[in-house]
Amino acid sequence: MESDLRSYLERRRRMLERVRNLLVDKLGVQREADEIDPDTPLFATGLALDSIDAVDLLIHLEAELGIEVPSDEEGRSALRTVNSIVDLALEKQEAVDGAE
Amino acid sequence: MEPSEQILAIRRSVALSRLPHVSYQWITGTGAFEALNRVFSRELYVRDGQLVQGLLLDGEGHVYADCVVARDDDDYFLLAEGPDPRGLAEYLSLHARGVDDFEIVDRTATHDLISLDGPYAWELVARLVGQEVVGLPYMTFFHLDGLVCCRSGKTGEYGYVLIVDREHSETTWNSLVELGRGFDAAEASLEALDVCALENWFFNVRREGRARVTPIELQLQWRLSRKKSFVGSEAVRQRLEEGLTRRATTLLSKEPFAVGDQVSLAGRVIGDIVNAAHSPVRGEWVGLALLDLAYAHPGITTLRVGPERTSARTVSPPVLQNRSLYVNPQVHSYASREEDEFPSLVVP
Repeated sequence: MESDLRSYLERRRRMLERVRNLLVDKLGVQREADEIDPDTPLFATGLALDSIDAVDLLIHLEAELGIEVPSDEEGRSALRTVNSIVDLALEKQEAVDGAE
Repeated sequence: MEPSEQILAIRRSVALSRLPHVSYQWITGTGAFEALNRVFSRELYVRDGQLVQGLLLDGEGHVYADCVVARDDDDYFLLAEGPDPRGLAEYLSLHARGVDDFEIVDRTATHDLISLDGPYAWELVARLVGQEVVGLPYMTFFHLDGLVCCRSGKTGEYGYVLIVDREHSETTWNSLVELGRGFDAAEASLEALDVCALENWFFNVRREGRARVTPIELQLQWRLSRKKSFVGSEAVRQRLEEGLTRRATTLLSKEPFAVGDQVSLAGRVIGDIVNAAHSPVRGEWVGLALLDLAYAHPGITTLRVGPERTSARTVSPPVLQNRSLYVNPQVHSYASREEDEFPSLVVP
């Protein structure tokens, strides 16, 4: 495996773990972290979060992971699944790393 | 009408479909809960009027049926894809041995299921059954004048399934076709519905469900209870103890690929395709692959698929921005769609 890909997958795995833990510890999802599959929908089906959870999620993503979710369609897309949050988090992280 | 046009109708307006592939069974009697609880993969705490998505597994932990269970007063009904109605009734009876006072009534032969899917499905169904349907929450149902209206669907758009007794189903269908003219409604095939399900990461029991893997590999743990025993739960538990080695992951490619194709990375095979279709909305092929766990993540852009070594990349589904996320029944209507502004359907 190329080192760039290895490094990307490692960052991705770590972020996935953080998002899963946040969902369990901060939002009270009644699952073990490893039971939360990466493509699980967050709302309606899947984890079945509701609109109050959505507000909590925004707060904790910013407080715990430093991710400010935009209020436009990019933000809406980012809150569809666990993996879509990870996508946004990594994108933000890369933007910060690139700026430094 | 071509499947691609049907799919575009589901994504932009509304489409009607008949669902002869769905089994419709009622389970009645004081033993109904126990009979169903033995096989249903989730906790069976269902409120009256609520629908719950779950699975029925075989003894090896493989998916036998993709199903929705509904509680209707003291009874339950089941909408299931995968087995035929007779096979499903036999499966339920077999695993309910010893349970007293329950009856399985196959209503597949006496009722028809009609689905409406699309960002304006709510508006068309409201014309038929009344405005109150607009406020119906996802995964609930109500009875009205001899039909059952379920707010469900597997396309990522507003979706409704109407359960109509066969005597009235043709009239209902014709009324919807007539009312649908004002919505440019299409008649969608199962093939079109399956493509929409794949684009939106809804499980398909006829495709990835036949891969002889457990719900763990298919990322369906949210449909499993770890608190109760049910048919197949022991096999699933064993798989978890052994450790996951592969996981279903979504792929996109500009070139065609097919079920059974191998997926490779830097010359090494890392998985195979279990579902694939052309997405007319994206203008590319979308698929689901069972990939070695180390690579079962979005963002890998250097994959090769099939004998032609087609270039492919892993992505996070859904692969489009459903218009239904942005259509608000309080504000929008099909008539005003040209004036309303919505984001592009395609996620870059």
